[in-house]
Amino acid sequence: MKVYFFGTCLGNMAYSKALVSSIKLLQHYGAQVIYKKDQSCCGQPSFNSGYYEETRKVALANINLFDQPYPIVIPSGSCAGMMIHDYLELFKDTPHFERVQEFSSRVYDLSDFLLNHLNANLCDTGEKTTVTWHSNCHALRVSKCVEASKTLIRMLENVNLVELEREEECCGFGGTFSIKEPEISKTMVEKKIQDILSRNVEYIISGDGGCLLNISGAMKKMGCDVKPAHLYEFLAQRIGLE
Amino acid sequence: MEARELITEKLNDSQLRKNLDFAMSLLQTNRKKLLKDRYGDWEALREEGRKVKQNTLSRLPELLERFEENAKKNGIQVHWASDAKDANDIIYNLAKKNNVTKILKGKSMASEEIHFNAYLKKKGIQAIETDLGEIIIQLIDEPPVHIVVPAIHKNRYEIGEIFEKHLKVERFSEPKDLNAVARTHLRKEFQEFKMGLSGVNFAIANEGAIWLLENEGNGRMSTTVPDIHIAICGIEKIVESFDDAVILDTLLIPSATGQSITCYNNIITSPRKDGDLDGPKEVHVILLDHHRSDILSHKHYSKALSCIRCGTCMNHCPVYEKVGGHAYGATYPGPIGEVISPQIFGIDRYGYILNLCSLCGRCSEVCPVKIPLAEMIRDLRSEKAGQGSGEEILGISRIKPKMAEKLGFKIFAFLASTPWAWKSMLWGVKVFGPIGKPLAPLLPMIKQWTSCRAYPTLDASFQSQKLEGVIYE
Repeated sequence: MKVYFFGTCLGNMAYSKALVSSIKLLQHYGAQVIYKKDQSCCGQPSFNSGYYEETRKVALANINLFDQPYPIVIPSGSCAGMMIHDYLELFKDTPHFERVQEFSSRVYDLSDFLLNHLNANLCDTGEKTTVTWHSNCHALRVSKCVEASKTLIRMLENVNLVELEREEECCGFGGTFSIKEPEISKTMVEKKIQDILSRNVEYIISGDGGCLLNISGAMKKMGCDVKPAHLYEFLAQRIGLE
Repeated sequence: MEARELITEKLNDSQLRKNLDFAMSLLQTNRKKLLKDRYGDWEALREEGRKVKQNTLSRLPELLERFEENAKKNGIQVHWASDAKDANDIIYNLAKKNNVTKILKGKSMASEEIHFNAYLKKKGIQAIETDLGEIIIQLIDEPPVHIVVPAIHKNRYEIGEIFEKHLKVERFSEPKDLNAVARTHLRKEFQEFKMGLSGVNFAIANEGAIWLLENEGNGRMSTTVPDIHIAICGIEKIVESFDDAVILDTLLIPSATGQSITCYNNIITSPRKDGDLDGPKEVHVILLDHHRSDILSHKHYSKALSCIRCGTCMNHCPVYEKVGGHAYGATYPGPIGEVISPQIFGIDRYGYILNLCSLCGRCSEVCPVKIPLAEMIRDLRSEKAGQGSGEEILGISRIKPKMAEKLGFKIFAFLASTPWAWKSMLWGVKVFGPIGKPLAPLLPMIKQWTSCRAYPTLDASFQSQKLEGVIYE
């Protein structure tokens, strides 16, 4: 099966390893990956600030780029949510709507795709460890792929997943929110970290670059020793793909 | 105080943070537990509630008139107030006519919205709060921090101190003792009142009746003890029938406090009738518009009038929990406040509160009548950016465009839709990313980011890799 891979802007800038792992996972479970070299960003930064005209321009560039009828797989529930759900809102009552609808119907979060379309069966090769999981808000409430991500982690025999007390609470990233309201964002991420530290785990895993950049950056500054891990880098490593 | 300073002050108030953290967790847990144990199909009920409100709003003028007609038949006097001044004047004139100098008050957000207490004070009339939370904040001259639980930011030790200082009593900290203090204080106040004021939870058009919910019984004092009862009712509180009101009530209470029912349900259908032993001799209902009909006329934002004021969006908002209601500087704080405060009081004055949201979407998820709050907050941001629905929002013409922000997003859109430019940008990140650390204090955005986080590893190396088996196009 041929699939397009959309690496996201943050993935391309800060999570190269997670992108490599994502592609290896797709290939391992039988997909043939196409990488469009002209890809950029899903458009969330301008969308969330209310700049819809600019966002439509970015969205149309993506819709034109991924023009063959292959699934578009994204290692981020947040960006997947934007392309699956928010693109439809953006183009409602415009002449582009049908094209956008066709495009959006082909977009998948990677966890969901691995689990439900490639029937991935993960075979753990790693040592025993305990991890916790942070749900990205849009992955949870827009693309609704968090259960798929957690199911993949739970498949790993030697990994004990301990849930956070406030798993469903925002970490304070929120894209431009963290820049516009740095003080509130800081208080939110500190709260999240308090929760993480109370779980006594080796890893904090998240399936979204934004949250991970926020949580890991703040943990590093605070000197915490819980290791942050991107979901797909973690999964690939556990099943011996690295 | 500037909005920014106010937020900093609230974030630095560790006692406030502790109190809010404790209270919001409790409200969230209570709701979650109740829904799990007692409500078989909460989602279906939410859908019912949404439909009831949408149906009502689509026929609001007709239902308001039906309410007026039936209420009048019941002997209730109905007044129409198009704005805050109208509503305040109606109440003041009724007070003057009856030589009233003190008004007993039940909890009412509509009265907060029209700044009723301050208006009356200027006219030499005193408003005495009866809701326990409202008494506490009235004693320290603060506005409500939350629309349902107005003093939720104070713990019992602080309340003990407030009572000690302002009511000249011994310092207590046990809830039962604090209640006893409030009770003694209020009973004294209740005695000589001629006029009581309340809000309205549901105004039922078919019956011409009003329904008030409360947990303390003190609200009932302000509606039954005085000779004259005045109820302020936002026009969106109208429902067609008792059946509709019951659906909304069943959604409201679990959402608000995690109870299945309030301790008191007061349904008022008329003033005292011949032979009745108690009750007010006159009942007045003020139907308050205050820009609600402007909101109703919007195709998109009219959904905001579905709000039944349960406050659960506040209880679940991670920003509200950190800063508390006062940081918004508006009568209505939290997610619903971000949606309605700019529309009731002007987006030029209250547009800044739209930034107090990370768009996590939890408010939309918990709203019992399914108002898409997060989406509306984002859409109102687009109104501020001049790219909204094109419908008139109060004060929008007085907003100055943010040129730097606009330019920033224009550049972003150019980069993200122009492959060579995007690749050059990634190349720039790859080259300058690792050496950007010493420059961080000079670049405002990176400075903000690194104020509490380590400088990120920006290697941007993926684009230059060639992976085996991948088709590059």
